[in-house]
Amino acid sequence: MTAAIHVDRARKTFDLGKGKSVEALAGVSLEVRPGEFVAIIGPSGCGKSTILRLIGSLEEPTAGTVTIDGRPPRELAGAHRLGVAFQDHALLPWLSVWQNVTLPLQVAGVKPDDAKIAALIRLVGLEGFEKARPRQLSGGMRQRAAIARALVLGPEVLLLDEPFAALDAVTRRYMNIELQRIWTESRITTLLVTHGVDEALFLADRIVVMSGRPGRIIENLDIDFPRPRMPALMRTPAFHALYDHLADLLEPAAAENEPVAGGGES
Amino acid sequence: MNAIGRTAVAVLRNGWGILLLIIVWQAWVTAMNFNAIVMPRPLGVLQDLIGFPEVYWKNAVYTIGAAVIGLVLGMALGTGLAILAWLSDVLEGMLTPLTVLFSSVPVVTIIPIVARLLGYDFSTVLAIVVIICFFPAFVFTTSGLKALPAGADDLFRVLGARTPARLLRLALPAAVPNWSVALRVAAGHAVLGAMIAEYLMGTAGLGYLFAETKSDFNMERAFGATAVAMVVSILFFAAALAVERRVKERWN
Repeated sequence: MTAAIHVDRARKTFDLGKGKSVEALAGVSLEVRPGEFVAIIGPSGCGKSTILRLIGSLEEPTAGTVTIDGRPPRELAGAHRLGVAFQDHALLPWLSVWQNVTLPLQVAGVKPDDAKIAALIRLVGLEGFEKARPRQLSGGMRQRAAIARALVLGPEVLLLDEPFAALDAVTRRYMNIELQRIWTESRITTLLVTHGVDEALFLADRIVVMSGRPGRIIENLDIDFPRPRMPALMRTPAFHALYDHLADLLEPAAAENEPVAGGGES
Repeated sequence: MNAIGRTAVAVLRNGWGILLLIIVWQAWVTAMNFNAIVMPRPLGVLQDLIGFPEVYWKNAVYTIGAAVIGLVLGMALGTGLAILAWLSDVLEGMLTPLTVLFSSVPVVTIIPIVARLLGYDFSTVLAIVVIICFFPAFVFTTSGLKALPAGADDLFRVLGARTPARLLRLALPAAVPNWSVALRVAAGHAVLGAMIAEYLMGTAGLGYLFAETKSDFNMERAFGATAVAMVVSILFFAAALAVERRVKERWN
């Protein structure tokens, strides 16, 4: 039901024209087990989104292979079995919340089950806003709608590309708690790209740390905090120790780019 | 204040400039004692409008008919070709320069050619309106089909959407705001195009009425035809603007 992801020595170079090119990924290998929640963290431009785009069939690797359950991602996308939520919610402004959530079913040619849609909208806490248009919603509510839309097909792989990056810190923490609750109910293989270390620690079974130019994996860390995880977890010494360790790993690249940075997430 | 009073105040507030112009015009022509052939009086024009309504509304219906049908056909043609161009890069490469070429030729110079091809009747007037309305429809719809909400294209690809779903559920709805701008532009052009065609080679319509009465030195009726044409143009524009506003409201 839920699928495994294999990224095998994937390289990706982007042609910049005039004979110039940039190497976004330098031979990255990554395994995600079925039902596992993996977070990828790293500085801007480290290629973490590129990995997600390879798995989402939005890019083809220059070399190496990317497969989901042994098949190319394009096939899974074509079979409407991928769920995705981006930093910009990508809700269609001319559709209501209900219609936006139903959209993947219509694209897939599946008849929407009203009870199921209603349950999903309840799951993400948007009950009563079914008829609202995206512009009438707050940033957090838009992202909830986007996550409901990502789940509506009952996908085998869920790809989340900084879905909460545009939200304020309070809303973001709240959305993390909500996402954990939603994920616990579905246990879909999930890949979350983020630059929030606390977000990754709170949500993931495993954290992959990347370093940029060219993008490569520098750390692969299992996070065994028991589930369900409570917000209080973020105040424990164990959490802080891991946070500091990961922040240190991210440090060199951050220091290079921003020598006066205060150490906080921006 | 009653409803009529309020309406009168509203008309005065929005239309006092036009009213002033007409009063100054009337006063000026009266003071200078111009012949009606040189410059008709507004009251004379009004008299003719009230005295011979049949002449005006029959020609107005002809012009409005040509403008509406031509607008619908032109918008349909422009939208249809824009969709074809969206579907195929080869067609886009062919259609875009062709339409630009076509649109840069002044329409007045096409009218005699179209008249030779289609005859000196309604079909030529209609063809001119279609040609005039086609271009904004094509250009605005073409760009509208590509003006997708941020991330929507990626979303549809990950969802495994095929071309029909991408067209119907993403590109076409995304093009509606641009399309409504095209409608507003084309609606104004439609009346103008119909009148120019009628003026140059028509046998009926407000443009024809103007050309005929002008050459008979019946300037009051010629100005009456102009006044009716103005009202028709404004109504077209206002209707299209109302459509555009509603679309903007929904599409944000």
